[in-house]
Amino acid sequence: MRKMILGFLVAFSTIFFAGGVSLAQVVKVSPTLTVTPTPTATPTLTPRADLTKETEETLGPLERLLNEQKLGSVWPGNPIKYAIRAAVDAHVPANTIVLLLLLPLVASFIAAARHIVGLRGFGIFLPAALGVTFVATGPIVGIGLFLVIVTIATLIRFTLRKLKLKLQYLPRMALLLWWVVIAVLGVLFAAPLINSSTLSNVSIFPVLILVLLSEDFTRVQLGKSAKVAVNLTSETLILALASYFVLTLKPVQEYALLKPEIYLLVILIFNLILGRYVGLRLMEIWRFRKLIQS
Amino acid sequence: MKISNVLGLNARTQLFSYRYNTLTGRKICDSKLQTAKVLKRVGIPHPEIYKKFKNPIDIESFDWQSLPAAFALKPSRGLGGEGIVVVKTRTKDKDAWITTQKSRVGIEDLKLHVQDILEGAFSLGNVPDSALVQEFVGRHKAFRKYAYRGTPDIRIIVFNRVPVMAMLRLPTKESGGRANMYQGAIAVGIDMATGITTKAYLHGDLIFHKPGTERKLRGIKIPDWTKILEMSVEASMASGMGYLGVDIVLHPEKGPMVLELNAQPGLKIQLANLAGLKKRLERVEELEVRGPVHGVKIAKALFAARFADRVKAEEGIKTVGVWEDVRVVGGDHKKHTIKAKIDTGAWKSSIDREVAKKLGILDKSNILWTKIYKSSLGKETRKVISLTYYLAGTRISTIVNVAGRSHLRTPLIIGRKDLKGFLVKTE
Repeated sequence: MRKMILGFLVAFSTIFFAGGVSLAQVVKVSPTLTVTPTPTATPTLTPRADLTKETEETLGPLERLLNEQKLGSVWPGNPIKYAIRAAVDAHVPANTIVLLLLLPLVASFIAAARHIVGLRGFGIFLPAALGVTFVATGPIVGIGLFLVIVTIATLIRFTLRKLKLKLQYLPRMALLLWWVVIAVLGVLFAAPLINSSTLSNVSIFPVLILVLLSEDFTRVQLGKSAKVAVNLTSETLILALASYFVLTLKPVQEYALLKPEIYLLVILIFNLILGRYVGLRLMEIWRFRKLIQS
Repeated sequence: MKISNVLGLNARTQLFSYRYNTLTGRKICDSKLQTAKVLKRVGIPHPEIYKKFKNPIDIESFDWQSLPAAFALKPSRGLGGEGIVVVKTRTKDKDAWITTQKSRVGIEDLKLHVQDILEGAFSLGNVPDSALVQEFVGRHKAFRKYAYRGTPDIRIIVFNRVPVMAMLRLPTKESGGRANMYQGAIAVGIDMATGITTKAYLHGDLIFHKPGTERKLRGIKIPDWTKILEMSVEASMASGMGYLGVDIVLHPEKGPMVLELNAQPGLKIQLANLAGLKKRLERVEELEVRGPVHGVKIAKALFAARFADRVKAEEGIKTVGVWEDVRVVGGDHKKHTIKAKIDTGAWKSSIDREVAKKLGILDKSNILWTKIYKSSLGKETRKVISLTYYLAGTRISTIVNVAGRSHLRTPLIIGRKDLKGFLVKTE
């Protein structure tokens, strides 16, 4: 195993340095690097670019970048690049490919946040899914919806306990979902009133992910104390926001699209190394500070 | 303390939990029913199980009136002590019980709770679970003054058949009588050699008294300490787990009992003892441990708390010369006077083989392990034994290696390891 990692490391470093040079060239030709991905910040109320939906605005620049890149022979260095090119030519949206490519990066990022920093969150899937949701809805609407759902879920749980309805577990969860859906519907109905186009443009999948998240939240609340549940939720939110920034970072998007082979290899090796890290996490150093100082 | 002495979650999982535990062992630890079965097979005391609920049919067919006045209803695979109902007394009309939190539960409440458990409301990933009704273990009189309402328990980390670290968890008013530190129970560190508590820890701070009282938490003597330690090793051997946490409760009449086994014991125990777990684990990792008695002997020799600070405060610093007469406790428990050289150039103490044999401390039962020592004379394999002696009136319990020293002036040299709290006068 150690030899394997060493082999990977050597291969990785050679490719990385070669790749680093060519990345610099790519960055030079990139026309979109300076554009920050926050169209909501402009006061003109233009609809937000949704990476999960196929729109002309987001498809354009990425496709243009692909066209500008000059490729050598297919083997050994370019098989995925050619595959991407063929897929985009066959009208697979480039941003779908980018999002898919970025998912392992976000997952590794969350894994690193747990094993090096010590942020836990609800597993690895939920923060990643929440991050993608934020890309689709925008961070403010996303957090707003998330907080509404979590508040409703908690309120219902406490009410059910106070009322002593004595329901069984699954019907109780179904009842909870009922209320959460009503609340989300209420928010969506309120969209024309507060005249928010980002809110009214929200698609079903982000909302669905948020609704399903409420079940996990209540489950943790059931199993642990309220303090632990709040901590886990805030850590999940932090991780999701960080994932959101990783996902929307233009240089990262472009690098993943233009250099998929190196990009995927780097993530593979990073996880192989991370999985063997046995040192203290940053938050543990804080937790055990009295012990270390003694 | 060095950072590398502290055990973190990454190291716990990768270096110890994964490496030394089998899947079968982990399954035994995760299920209270399986734990009880394994403990029963090898005859380790365990709170009696009155009734198991595996199917919803069991709930209706069970005669609930037959339950005693005090019992605990638990999920078999619950997480973090959740889903446990403990009742202490029965109401006069015989239809309900009063919990330790002073609320009333009727038969219908209990039935619903068992249903919740069977549906998996308290298990990891909501997997259907089993429920059990268990004997209630009251508070032992040794802890009556220190614990609030609930039953305190003793957590012992066992690794490679050696008990490595221990703590006492005392329920408080804040924790609602539960011995769970997240809910505000006090974690009290225990000296492995004597079973006397050393430090107490609550909410990120060392404390000295039980909250709201003047009652000292240091110096509580835990009864049956050696038996408790041996029991923890027996439990680790029965479950086949190399690294685990054993939770032990003291029954007021029946004595120590293993309550449950934990495949991934928490790390807060390090704060309660103000000691790093990783260093201790590495210390016993390679040892060949024959059984519970041997393992406990090693633990007592290696992990004795240093009371040096207290000695200093009470007696002042003692001065010793280079050549001293010391009284060594022999195999016959009598004190024998031998000559010793105080050698601050050595770390560990060393005793002559012939003298050790004569004193009766070279029995197989007293040998902790053998180790290869490197010195200016080359490599040598030496036996390491536990030894108790008195230097200038101070009792020192330590480990020494055995070497041929008959050609030297003294049969015993005393190294720096045993000289904490002493000054050496060279004249």
